[in-house]
Amino acid sequence: MSATVAGQVGGGLLPPQPPPIGVFWLFVLPFAALTAVFGIWPILLSIEVSFTASASALQPSPQWVGLANYAAILADPVFIASLGRTLVYTALAVVSTIALALLYALLLDSALIGRGRTLFKVAIFLPVVTPDIAGYVVWRWLYDQSFGALNVALAAIGLPAFPGLASVDTAIFAVLVAELWHHVGFYVVIFLANLALCDRGIAEAAEIDGADAWQKFWHVVLPQLRPALLVNTVYALIQYLKTFTVVAVMTKGGPNDATNFVSYYAYQLFDQGRYGEATAMASILFAIVIVLALAMMRLQQGRGAR
Amino acid sequence: MSCQPRRHGTVLTVLAYATAIAVSFLCLYPYWWMLVSAFRSTEAILSSPLRPWPETLGLDVLKEIASIGGTPLWRYAMNSVLITTASTVVGIVVTALGAYALVRRPDFWFFRVLRIGFMVTIMYPYMLLVIPVYIVMYKVGLLGTYSGIILFLALGPIQFFLFEQFFRTVPKSVIEAAVIDGADEWQILFRVVMPLALPVVATASIITFLLNWAQWLPVLVVSKSPDTYTLPVALLSLNGELGVNFQGIMAMSVLTTIPVTLFFLVAQRRVIAGMTAGAVKG
Repeated sequence: MSATVAGQVGGGLLPPQPPPIGVFWLFVLPFAALTAVFGIWPILLSIEVSFTASASALQPSPQWVGLANYAAILADPVFIASLGRTLVYTALAVVSTIALALLYALLLDSALIGRGRTLFKVAIFLPVVTPDIAGYVVWRWLYDQSFGALNVALAAIGLPAFPGLASVDTAIFAVLVAELWHHVGFYVVIFLANLALCDRGIAEAAEIDGADAWQKFWHVVLPQLRPALLVNTVYALIQYLKTFTVVAVMTKGGPNDATNFVSYYAYQLFDQGRYGEATAMASILFAIVIVLALAMMRLQQGRGAR
Repeated sequence: MSCQPRRHGTVLTVLAYATAIAVSFLCLYPYWWMLVSAFRSTEAILSSPLRPWPETLGLDVLKEIASIGGTPLWRYAMNSVLITTASTVVGIVVTALGAYALVRRPDFWFFRVLRIGFMVTIMYPYMLLVIPVYIVMYKVGLLGTYSGIILFLALGPIQFFLFEQFFRTVPKSVIEAAVIDGADEWQILFRVVMPLALPVVATASIITFLLNWAQWLPVLVVSKSPDTYTLPVALLSLNGELGVNFQGIMAMSVLTTIPVTLFFLVAQRRVIAGMTAGAVKG
């Protein structure tokens, strides 16, 4: 976006002379105080603790150990496995979230769905505003071997049982399905908002020119959805890298560490009083989130300039 | 308008509706199962988990969960209402004023630093932030207090982006006209800008309420005892208890879910539009 447009639209509130700063200090004070006390201070504290010995971390004069905590966790096979698992899960979850949300948004947006579109939209968005604890508790029991509806339903239509959270092989997929249920509606409405701004005429022109369905999707629809694709990918990356609540409610990292992601493993170490290592893990996860988010935004700016 | 061409054809239409109805069913079935299970005894569910409606419509289960972990149910419900409402009100006032100042003077060095600090805060893995927050709460003497929980829940990204985005669209001429009329900054804010911002205030308030109702980890960490637990936290501790009270867990899930579900259904248009706008901006 060029500077002149930004000046007219983006800086709408700016009079020719910027107003004196005086009273704005007062307006910003509560916001600055909350950000500093419950944001910046704890983050700095967390980084500080990652360089101290756990036993002395909460004492007035902590013992500095340099990078020892970082060295310790990088030598910890459970952490390395957890990090790998987190990255694989994030990739799987981001791709399936974006793909499902895109397909469903295209379906709801198509002229095939007329009446009932709002109902379908509300149905897929409802889990987004449902308290995640309640949603995951219900899913945990839906998967249950004795209480759960899922396996009874599978048996009724002649399909084999789904071991769900009980098996090392399936737990990660059971967690993924519950997370998709909770999150995907959010991504659907972002795609729908983008689709509402698109130009139907281009697709119709391509159709007249003899483009097939795949060509229309790839060359006409997808390029126009670039803004939503980018926003959704950044959001999904940040969100799934931090996956925590679903594990805390449904699996506690199990069975046999199959769902022990970095954020949950770090939280467990906190619980055991291993503050130094836990905060070192927090720093590493934070660095990954920041780098990926900045890389995606850089990508967007690069494309916007072209 | 849309990216896609118009399409007709009975078979395609039937397929499209069948898919949308199937997806909607998968989204909504967990709610129905939870609601039905809350009315059925544990033995009844074990014998037929799929039964589509309850045998009876008794409220006896409320007696079973009248007290969770030694604290009465009504206390958790009151805490949820109090903490969610207070953190929403505080959050909206603080965020609106903060975002307003940042938009009016985006060039000022301190405001630039503050904006970056806020962005960093919302990107930090929050489940790992709550432990250092525990230490901070201890140091400032807010551990175990309602004030501590409410203040920690007050800041959130979506409300900030909604306000920032709105304030940027207020026409320059409106402010200039007020300045020419001799208005000071207080009058510009409360007589000119805020009346325009009322719809955004409403949207941001509803969304903040829905999101804060669902918060659990900050509540758990700042609390010293179940006396300040909210419904989601009480549900988590009930779910973690030994000896499964399945019906009680489902009834508690219903109590946690129903208030915000009804609230959302009434305000769905505003909520969906607001969350889309807040996200696209961020």
